[in-house]
Amino acid sequence: MTAVAPLFSDPYRQRFAELMARRREPDAIAKLRRAAFDRFEKQGLPTRQQEAWRLTDLSALQAIGWQRPGDVPVDTGTLPTLDKTPTHRLVFVNGRFAPGLSRLRDLRGKTLIASLGQALLTHPELIEPHLDRLPGLKNQPFADLNTAFWEDGVLIYLPHGTVVETPIHLIFHTTGDSVAVHPRLLLVMEAQTQATVVVEYGGQGRYLHGPLAELAVGEGAVLDYHQLQEEAPGAFHLGGIRLRQKRASQANLHLIALGGQLARVDLDALLDGEGARCQINGLTLARNQQFSDVHVRVEHAQPHGTSEQVFKSVLDDKARTVFDGMIHVRQHAQKTDARQTNRNLLLSRQAQAQANPRLEILADDVKCGHGSSTGFLDPDAEFYLRARGIPVAQARALLVHAFANDSLNRIHLTPLRERLARLLAGRLALDFLEEEKP
Amino acid sequence: MLEIRNLHVTVEGREILKGIDLAIHPGETHAIMGPNGSGKSTLANVIAGREGYIVTQGEILFEGKNLLDMDPETRACEGLFLAFQYPVEIPGVANLYFLKAAVNAVRKYRGESSVDAMDFWELVNERMALVKMDESMLKRSVNEGFSGGEKKRNEIFQMAVLQPRFAVLDETDSGLDIDALKVVADGVNALRSPERGFLVITHYQRLLDYIVPDQVHVLFNGKIARSGGKELALELEEQGYALYNEEPGRARRAAA
Repeated sequence: MTAVAPLFSDPYRQRFAELMARRREPDAIAKLRRAAFDRFEKQGLPTRQQEAWRLTDLSALQAIGWQRPGDVPVDTGTLPTLDKTPTHRLVFVNGRFAPGLSRLRDLRGKTLIASLGQALLTHPELIEPHLDRLPGLKNQPFADLNTAFWEDGVLIYLPHGTVVETPIHLIFHTTGDSVAVHPRLLLVMEAQTQATVVVEYGGQGRYLHGPLAELAVGEGAVLDYHQLQEEAPGAFHLGGIRLRQKRASQANLHLIALGGQLARVDLDALLDGEGARCQINGLTLARNQQFSDVHVRVEHAQPHGTSEQVFKSVLDDKARTVFDGMIHVRQHAQKTDARQTNRNLLLSRQAQAQANPRLEILADDVKCGHGSSTGFLDPDAEFYLRARGIPVAQARALLVHAFANDSLNRIHLTPLRERLARLLAGRLALDFLEEEKP
Repeated sequence: MLEIRNLHVTVEGREILKGIDLAIHPGETHAIMGPNGSGKSTLANVIAGREGYIVTQGEILFEGKNLLDMDPETRACEGLFLAFQYPVEIPGVANLYFLKAAVNAVRKYRGESSVDAMDFWELVNERMALVKMDESMLKRSVNEGFSGGEKKRNEIFQMAVLQPRFAVLDETDSGLDIDALKVVADGVNALRSPERGFLVITHYQRLLDYIVPDQVHVLFNGKIARSGGKELALELEEQGYALYNEEPGRARRAAA
């Protein structure tokens, strides 16, 4: 193993030493941190020589000596809401839980929605058995960085049969330059539970968000998970999502990526029970010099699983996107039905979308399919709209909206869908597209 | 109202229209007939302003204004309408929204405010009945999954809502059964008025039984080979275009 350049490792090592000195937490957790940090030190940040990172250029990120952010005041008006919908709301400013900006409604029984840092003091027994337990976590540098450096985040624990109807709204807002925050989300859903989660990342400056979400979905549980990445234009987002589904569970994941100069999400979904169903809906809007990357691996480990991935991106200016999607079907996972679609719409000749759809099928009685397309706006459709009097700019905007809105329509959480629709319309300089009601 | 003078058009380097002269006055309906490849659709597309059609000579005036200087949306806002031969499917754009955007674009061009929601809905309902369109088609994406007949009816419906001053119908009859053809023709006839002009492009005489033209022109090999009254269409139905194909001069002689 080659040693990592000291220039680079020292700030991380110093930061890690400071963190360990500062924290008072169970030995098991400290052990996890040390192991993760050791792995990270050995590997360093990924380089483009590694296959999984071939298309992701981290040199801008590597050049920065990342620090722990200080406390800064936040303009509460800039924090997102779900309109007037009541939510369980947890806000984190510069990585730290902000109780004053948060609001937790009454929960029944042993259900817990809390700051992970606080829960570690009050309910370590709920965290220790679950944290860092999902497969796929080791030897992924940003996952290791998160496990080593997370200071706060969220624990959602739903005991058997719990249905949380109120959406759980988690907001991570960071302000500053050269500051790194590694939020950790631990979602433990026991059998027959149900939850709707919205996670939003945003802020101001050249910060780094390196979140990691562990989503353990129990038997027959239903999860609606929405991730809205709306980072500042200069920010970095290197995030991971680990999903494990038990028998007959259902997970609907919506990944909306809008911001950041460099953004990447690595999603690993393991369908680890018979008849698990997983739907993944991704929409990326990239412009200027943005780089936005999604790596998805859906692994069918048990029979009768269903997965559907639809990833769309709209690219303008010199933006670049990468979609790398793997469907892996284990030998035992017969009667799997797995689909993957990737569609990229280019609005500029300089934009570039790279697609790498992959299938690995070891079972012999499955339905699997994938498709990928990349193209410009349909000139016939554009002409058709113009021939009815619609100006060219509006015609193009309408067509882009139609392409992207298909993704938004898959979101059932109305206040979020409507907010995103307004945001999309704003980006496209369209008047707000009200639904026509006779 | 529409005046075409010595129009020459090339497409991908090939001359398709070789000197067209045509004048259509308000209240008139002209039909252009001709075999495949004669340049009928090229004429429709040049009038509407589609890219890729190069006018090498001649001009088109619309109510005295130079049409060729205008982009497609300006032509539409000036009151020109093209019913497409192949209406385009636009997934994700609801028919009704599209129509409202079009109506408002035209109103904005004229310096008028956006259409009142109730007025618009009333107009839409009235025009929908005209072409026997089902309300559910309004909510569906533009032309997506429509049958051939539904697409053509949707074109006439759009025309009826937009109420252009001049409309070009490019083979609106093609692929329609007789019932659908009647619906389309009724829709067009309902819009005929002393102020409005139509140019009906068709391969077959059949449509002209229902939309009776004031004048018929035969387009052949990029030129208008003959012009005449509505009886010319019947004559073509009997004799076909073969006459023109064999010897361009013969048809003229035969008519003399």
